[in-house]
Amino acid sequence: MLELQQIGKYYNTGTINEMCLFEDFSLTIRDRQFVSVVGSNGSGKTSMLNIICGSIPLDSGKIIMNGRDITHLPEHRRQRSIGRVYQNPAMGTCPNMTILENMSLADNKGRPFSLLPGTSRQRIDAYRESLKTLGLGLEDKLDVKVGVLSGGQRQAMALLMSTMTPIEFLILDEHTAALDPKTAETIMVLTDKIVKEKKLTTIMVTHNLRYALEYGDRLLMMHQGQAVLDKEGKEKDAIAMDDILKKFNEISIECGN
Amino acid sequence: MFTILLGVLEEGLVYAIMALGVYITYKILDFPDLSVDSTFPMGAAITAVAILAGTSPALTLALSFLAGAAAGCVTGLIHVKLKVRDLLSGIIVMTALYSINLRIAGKANLPIFSQKTIFDNDVLNRLLPEALKPYAVLLVLALIVLLCKVLLDLYLKTKSGYLLRAAGDNEVLVTSLAKDKGMVKILGLAIANGFAALAGSIYCQQKGFFEISMGTGTIVIGLANVIIGTQLFKRFSFVKSTTAVILGSILYKLCVSLALALGEIHIGRVTITLPIVPSDLKLITSILFLIILIAGNQTAKKGKKNA
Amino acid sequence: MKKNLSILMAAAMTMSVLTGCVTVEPKETTAASSEASTTAAQTAPAEGQTEAQADNSAAQAADVSYTIGIGQFAEHGSLDNCREGFLAGLSEEGIEEGKNLTVLFENAQADGGTSSQIATSFAAKDVDLMCGIATPMAQSLYSVAMKTDIPVIYTAVTDPVAAELAQADGTPAGNITGTSDKLPIEQQLDMIRQILPEADTIGILYTTSEVNSQSAVAEYKELAGKYDFTIVESGISSSADIPLAADALLEKVDCITNLTDNTVVASLPIVLDKAAKKNIPVFGSEIEQVKIGCLAAMGLDYIDLGKQTGRMAAKVLKGEAKASEMNFEVIEEAAFYGNTKVAENLGITFPESLSTSAKELFSDITQ
Repeated sequence: MLELQQIGKYYNTGTINEMCLFEDFSLTIRDRQFVSVVGSNGSGKTSMLNIICGSIPLDSGKIIMNGRDITHLPEHRRQRSIGRVYQNPAMGTCPNMTILENMSLADNKGRPFSLLPGTSRQRIDAYRESLKTLGLGLEDKLDVKVGVLSGGQRQAMALLMSTMTPIEFLILDEHTAALDPKTAETIMVLTDKIVKEKKLTTIMVTHNLRYALEYGDRLLMMHQGQAVLDKEGKEKDAIAMDDILKKFNEISIECGN
Repeated sequence: MFTILLGVLEEGLVYAIMALGVYITYKILDFPDLSVDSTFPMGAAITAVAILAGTSPALTLALSFLAGAAAGCVTGLIHVKLKVRDLLSGIIVMTALYSINLRIAGKANLPIFSQKTIFDNDVLNRLLPEALKPYAVLLVLALIVLLCKVLLDLYLKTKSGYLLRAAGDNEVLVTSLAKDKGMVKILGLAIANGFAALAGSIYCQQKGFFEISMGTGTIVIGLANVIIGTQLFKRFSFVKSTTAVILGSILYKLCVSLALALGEIHIGRVTITLPIVPSDLKLITSILFLIILIAGNQTAKKGKKNA
Repeated sequence: MKKNLSILMAAAMTMSVLTGCVTVEPKETTAASSEASTTAAQTAPAEGQTEAQADNSAAQAADVSYTIGIGQFAEHGSLDNCREGFLAGLSEEGIEEGKNLTVLFENAQADGGTSSQIATSFAAKDVDLMCGIATPMAQSLYSVAMKTDIPVIYTAVTDPVAAELAQADGTPAGNITGTSDKLPIEQQLDMIRQILPEADTIGILYTTSEVNSQSAVAEYKELAGKYDFTIVESGISSSADIPLAADALLEKVDCITNLTDNTVVASLPIVLDKAAKKNIPVFGSEIEQVKIGCLAAMGLDYIDLGKQTGRMAAKVLKGEAKASEMNFEVIEEAAFYGNTKVAENLGITFPESLSTSAKELFSDITQ
């Protein structure tokens, strides 16, 4: 379970450009929930993910993960139970290292990076198997540097790598936005499969309203640091594309767009 | 001619060890670390003092490496914990070490001509056949450089080495792997400066003295070695980067040597004399680098066309 | 391709400009080209031999010719004087450049790595003798020459014992000897006392990286008490520190005495200017410093030092003595140099005992 309690976040505090991003924002995400988050630009979607992961500090409020207060835990310590995939496919892999080396790195998450051999021979077959599930033929290119792969291939690897070790939370930060529609579709299907298989609690920020409706069991629409729409389960299933578009237009008009 | 080549190899190999360190910071971590300018003479200072105090020459190598690594940690800590920019944290440590080096050595110039060194000791004299004696320095150096290279290659293949490479390649991934990217940088800087100090230690034992100003420009030589090496050999995929760096170091020294010899060129029985004065040395050296780099680019392009 | 060609062209042009430049520099060029022509004469035996023979007959009775390598650590007035004196000293003994002497001259541009490469290249050319000017160069040459039978002669090494080029009793550490430019510190203190009877403190500005300066400062401190002086030292690490260090030092002292510290000497005009504004006398340590505005010096003439070294080298070359058997020498006599113009500005008159024994008095300040 992940709880955000009365979160406050301001930018440029104390200057004339002071901007309030979150004020008294609270959100509770239950275990194994798959939350899709939509919203206009600057509504605080990505900032919320950054606050959860610890990439940006908090001005007030608390973050509770499985009953433990992690508000002041440094970013890398939180990542132990979190997997994160970024919008930019380059963020999730090392371009100058081979596919095999990247897989080995990801496989070692949560364990010490000691002076033992970087790649364990016994694990190579397992890497091959999991690469095979991507259906991209990467299992035959283990010694190829990731830098030469396409964006979609890299993003698939990033997804695989971030969910390789036992984690509880999966954070998807517009992870299909930089991909062509067909690849995006493939990645989405793969995401859903992994989330179901590994029973992960997932937060997915997306600009694709269709994905937001189609995947996940809870829909959150953010606007000016607040959730203006929050439906789950049956209620979410009942929402039609038109409803959500209407709501979206409402908040956009409010902003003067 | 042969003696000159021998000299080039000896000089090149000593600096190659330092260049391996610069390779870690500059190529792998993408961190322009200026502290090597002072960790190189620090290794020499520690070596001179330790040898004069009766420490075994081989042990001074380890001592120097450790001291260099500690200095590298300081650079890293200043950068990571105090959030000082990379270039500046290197400058801070480089400047501070100047005084510390003087403290270690006690004075600016400390000779050890009459002492036993790794190049001149009883064990070596006993083991080495008489015919190989003139090459003792080269043999010992080659052995150490090879050892350093192999160890570094092996290290880069360990889990820790993977993480180091990842830190230079994609910092975000290191965080995603639940590792503190700052610590990884500190580790890299420690290893790199360890190598620089080790090179300083060897240099001191080979030359027979420590000089406070001997480190000036080390980083420039190191960068030149790394860039010449990696640039020139990038199309030969079978040449490992570490090997390329070592070859780069030797080439660098070859350039200096050529520049020294350029005053007169002998082609058969004809002697061409160029009106070069000794103060032109640096200019000629840099022109030679330029020619090497251009030549490297040319071959790289041709290689691509052929492929 | 075109771009690369143009870069190469630029490089070639730089080279040709360089060639042009050289002809403008009269002193250096003649040295370089005469050196070159002798080498040419030797390496092209067919036409060269007759020429060399002709040269030899012109030289006084010298039927053997020598090749020596001179390595100079840095580009620097005093060190240049050493080299000039060295060649003069050799020619006094009948070994003259261009006649029976080939000189290979290299300058390390204050770079230790280059020093040792210069040493290696001399050894490779199997020179008859190597001459090292300044301590690091001498050490580099010795480090290489140890493995050969080439003798090394050094000059401008302040403390050959500390540099392990000589034993504590003055005998050589190996096949190496030369001259020390150790300052006549006691005479200098005595002179300062005579010129400034009231002064209490003497300031010394020096570079912490120069071992020669460090040992000179130590000796000053040791001897100062004897003449009722207190030494105030100020260590710098680069020439950029000089203005601030000089300001701070001038607040605390009655006069300044200058060493042969390379960095400080190079920036001496700054120190002199600041001191003149505060009416504080600055004493020098060699003739060049007095010329440019130091009040006086009990000091060295590097040309003389070079000559002395050259005569030693001649003995070694001719086989009259072995470098490994000659003790190193210090300057035979320290002489008084004064600048009357500076004295006038400061309102000081030199005591008669000094001015009459002066080797040279300058009446103006060379800029």
